[in-house]
Amino acid sequence: MDWLAHTFDGLLGLALLWLAWQAMHAPGLFRSVVSYMVFGLVMALIWVRLEAPDIALAEAAIGAGATGALLLSALARLKDGSDAGRLHWRHPAELVFWLPFAAVTALVLGLTAWQLPAPGLGVDVARTLGQSGVDNPVTAVLLNFRSFDTLLEIGVLLVGVVAIWSLGPAPSPIVPKMPSPALPALGRALFPVFVLAATYLLWRGSHAPGGAFQAGAVMGAGGILMVLAGARPWLTGEEQGPWRWLLSLGLVAMLAVAVAMAALAGTFFAYPPALAAPLILALEISAALSIALLMFAVYLCGRPPDHWEAED
Amino acid sequence: MNELFLILAVVLLLNTTVGLVRILSGPHPADRMLAAEMFSTSAVVIMLLLAFATDRPPLVDVALVFALLSALAVVTFVSRAWSALKPTTDTDDHDGGNR
Repeated sequence: MDWLAHTFDGLLGLALLWLAWQAMHAPGLFRSVVSYMVFGLVMALIWVRLEAPDIALAEAAIGAGATGALLLSALARLKDGSDAGRLHWRHPAELVFWLPFAAVTALVLGLTAWQLPAPGLGVDVARTLGQSGVDNPVTAVLLNFRSFDTLLEIGVLLVGVVAIWSLGPAPSPIVPKMPSPALPALGRALFPVFVLAATYLLWRGSHAPGGAFQAGAVMGAGGILMVLAGARPWLTGEEQGPWRWLLSLGLVAMLAVAVAMAALAGTFFAYPPALAAPLILALEISAALSIALLMFAVYLCGRPPDHWEAED
Repeated sequence: MNELFLILAVVLLLNTTVGLVRILSGPHPADRMLAAEMFSTSAVVIMLLLAFATDRPPLVDVALVFALLSALAVVTFVSRAWSALKPTTDTDDHDGGNR
């Protein structure tokens, strides 16, 4: 049993290092992108081995799925398969600086990890889990004990979309380069499954691995699938439309709850235990909706037009 | 039974790691993409085997997300990247790759 687990972990680690090297140094950008997508899958398997199924879910949804689609689409937009901007060792003398630097960083990180207190904060979380309103410790930390971090994370996503929209209009054409009758059919068949899986993950979040980020990522990936299959997105960039409100819904809801709690109880984000469960559920739903739309908006690579033109 | 599941997981992982050579050697972009897809299909199976071998039901959800999102990668490849990459295969792959 033991040697099996060791073989498995060793193989995973070797594959991860090899894929990381390939993603950085393979000749040809396509090879790098494919290596990076497989890197995400291996990383998810490693998170599972490290007993962190929540991160494995997020890694599978964002790292292997949505990022892969984003990178492949970006690659297809490059005019020539040029390798401009690739990482090269310009001069062997650079190694004299970077190798010792990397060695010292790895040593310091290793020492710090070695000296972390053994049980960590898990004991405290387990002790106060009863007052958090949920049964899943990860959700309790994300949306109750450390809500402020989650607020900032959603803020980062929103700022990212604002930055991308301000770069310019979304590039057209949005339709596939190679129209195929199979793609729309696949999109129509798979999209309900994406919606179902996202709803399921969101609901699971309160008592098992899952939650707003994973559900939002799966839902956003479903939207990207529909665009890839040739559907016209609903999301428009008009100033008075509902979409800007929906994109910022997660951040607005979290801020509103935080300020309301500050007014009621005097502390930012301090939920009364009786209200914690419904508040967390409401925050999770609004955050998941917002994250799904934000991921989709990132994929459009620019500000969508006020009205999508009719397909010809 | 659990030991059998673990052995199967290791064999599958070994199999796909060997399959990763296709990402390195290509020659066509479709070969590289299919190697990645083989990995994600095997990852679903490995995840399910681990879920039952180590008795962790949440891993079934991870397998579900894997299975759903591997479709996304292939659809992106077919609808966006494949046709765009075709003219550049000569520079990407040294032996042309027209099969």
